Amino acid sequence: MNEQLASALLYFTLVAYSTAATLFFVDLARREYSPEGNLWASRVLITGAVIHAAQIFIASFATDTCPVESLPFALNLSALLTVAAYALIRRRWRVDALGVAVVPIALAFLVGGQFVSAGPTVVHLPRGLLAVHIAANLMGLGLFLLAGAAGAFYIVQEKRLKAKRMPSRLPALDALDTTEHRLLLAGFPLQTLGAISGAAFLTDLHMGQAQLLQVILAYGTWLLVAAVLLVRATLGWHGRRTAYGTVAGAACVVLVLFLYILRGNGA
Amino acid sequence: MFAVVGLSHHTAPIQVRERMALEKEQIEKLLTELVAQPEVSEALVLSTCNRVEVVACAAPGVPPERLDEAVQKQLAVFAEALSPYLYRHLGMQGLKHLFRVACSLDSLVVGEPQILGQLKQAVELAQEVGTVGPTLRRATTHAVRTAKRVRTETALGMGQVSVPSVAVDLTRRIFGDLRGRKAALLGLGEMGQLVAKQLGAEGAQLFALGRQPEKVATLAQALGATPRSLAELEQTLLEVDVLVAMTSAHGYVVDYDMVSRLVRQRRGRQLFFVDLSVPRNIDPRLDGLDDVFLYNIDDLSQIVHDTKSNRRGEADRAEKIVLEETRNFERAASAEQVTPMVVALRRRISTALRAEHEKSQRTKLRHLTKDDHDAVERMLDAAVNKILHVPTMRLREAASNPEETAALEALVSTLTELFGLDSDEAVPGRPESMPPKAAKGERRDSRAPVPANEELAASDSPGDSR
Repeated sequence: MNEQLASALLYFTLVAYSTAATLFFVDLARREYSPEGNLWASRVLITGAVIHAAQIFIASFATDTCPVESLPFALNLSALLTVAAYALIRRRWRVDALGVAVVPIALAFLVGGQFVSAGPTVVHLPRGLLAVHIAANLMGLGLFLLAGAAGAFYIVQEKRLKAKRMPSRLPALDALDTTEHRLLLAGFPLQTLGAISGAAFLTDLHMGQAQLLQVILAYGTWLLVAAVLLVRATLGWHGRRTAYGTVAGAACVVLVLFLYILRGNGA
Repeated sequence: MFAVVGLSHHTAPIQVRERMALEKEQIEKLLTELVAQPEVSEALVLSTCNRVEVVACAAPGVPPERLDEAVQKQLAVFAEALSPYLYRHLGMQGLKHLFRVACSLDSLVVGEPQILGQLKQAVELAQEVGTVGPTLRRATTHAVRTAKRVRTETALGMGQVSVPSVAVDLTRRIFGDLRGRKAALLGLGEMGQLVAKQLGAEGAQLFALGRQPEKVATLAQALGATPRSLAELEQTLLEVDVLVAMTSAHGYVVDYDMVSRLVRQRRGRQLFFVDLSVPRNIDPRLDGLDDVFLYNIDDLSQIVHDTKSNRRGEADRAEKIVLEETRNFERAASAEQVTPMVVALRRRISTALRAEHEKSQRTKLRHLTKDDHDAVERMLDAAVNKILHVPTMRLREAASNPEETAALEALVSTLTELFGLDSDEAVPGRPESMPPKAAKGERRDSRAPVPANEELAASDSPGDSR
């Protein structure tokens, strides 16, 4: 019964997120500003997030699984956390238009989670450490993806401004730059925690080439983000240059997630 | 009969428009002299940065060409050699032009809201001088109503529409919330002041810089800005987020070397330059620097133009509304032409009936009380209304249909002959409400109720300071 309810809620969540993504796209494509457009997109998204939270709660009871213990579940939870993070920052940092990137990311996590198998249980690995590793990594990667979206929007908006064309209705350059930086700052400690916890059982795993590439990319992302934060703090780099670095980091994240799904055997 | 004679950005370059820029006292004088002409019965002058137009009504029987000549003669008093730049719209074309202007369809930036406020000011001034009569009052009221309809039914007025508002909008696209941001105004140019004023209204902290300390201090006080000397330009550029330049200097006041040095010290903070000057005050190479954005007057005008092009569909819809409303006004005005005939008919019938009633009061009906006689009076009035209802409707119908001109003439002629009406008082084209033409130098009573003014006052359009 609980499994059927969880499945139904999952479908409702998918419908709500897809609708919200469409509304965000329509709103951004509109020539003139319409407060209602964004408002409805946000309302549908938040409704979807509430249904999503209920789905995770019921599904974890139904399968008696901690949401961060298996990769499919963790991806599912990451989607919810991504949406929740956006809902919290959108008004405060005036980045409503980021919804157009955030919702597809959440959808990708949600759908991706359905295709990733739980993989063989590695009995000799401590469950707590594994949970911390997966949760920290996925949350960190999610935040980096959001930062990458903000960075990409920054590049687009700046190009329009330099080309002397009326900028699109994306958030202000300064808001995008600040948001990108804050998301990197928030994601970096989580990613660091993920890297450290991963290093603790790295030697216990027998890695294939794809898994090795995945690990290299994950550490590469961490290094890249660290470099972006460092040059920003020391040399005062802002704007376009850090945006390119962040977008490169986000691209690595996408590759890591792609490899996860491709391998289809979990952590 | 209407005539609109004037010049605008469509026909005259800025040098000519500058010559024709009229102060309030000059407009008052022009209005007075216009209505002192025997050809002109009513007049108003719309004077903005982009246009100077006289909207005039002809005295009865005056052909449009003579009205046009009379207006041109008066305009020539204020500025010489205007003829090549003047346009004229006569009759209903003049009315349509007035409606288009009110709807901002003829503006430099289509959809800009200031023009309606400027029309309001023009009507108010003409009323003060006493040169607005019933015809212009009805026309301007209808123009305002049309403009409101255009705003309600189309998206013509949405979004950024002028050079200053585009500059402020761009600032917002770069910095977001402008509260706590710093902006500097370099020079005393009027458009620069408008941009600075809007930035200040958005919460930016303002600085004013210039070569003349006294003028800069006065300007700074007016804008709520901190005055600074030009020697402090480099220090100011280090602090501010936006610099708006509009000086009369020849050559670059803000050069490449200065800014490229400062950019490093600013550690990645964006810097937005708005150069409204011609010749330019800011080195265009600055646009190549990271975190620096430079827009000159042409860049801003291009965005304004693009916005205007995007609104072409809305403008087409607005044009249709204008055409529809012009026809409505024309029909209503034509129907008004037969008012003297209706009034004359009513007077004739009422007079005959009242005469009979008075005679009866002394003979057969003398036993009736005063109340009974009052009741008879009311009955007679109702009878006149009923008798005249169908002829009145038919007359108005014929008057409002241009294809029935011959039928209207035949109707008027028949009624005049049958009822023995005075042909002068029954002639169409001179509504009873039209007051006699003011004698030279005499001002009409500006205290009379003025519906046009009420309509204009109710308009939510902000006036423009010019």
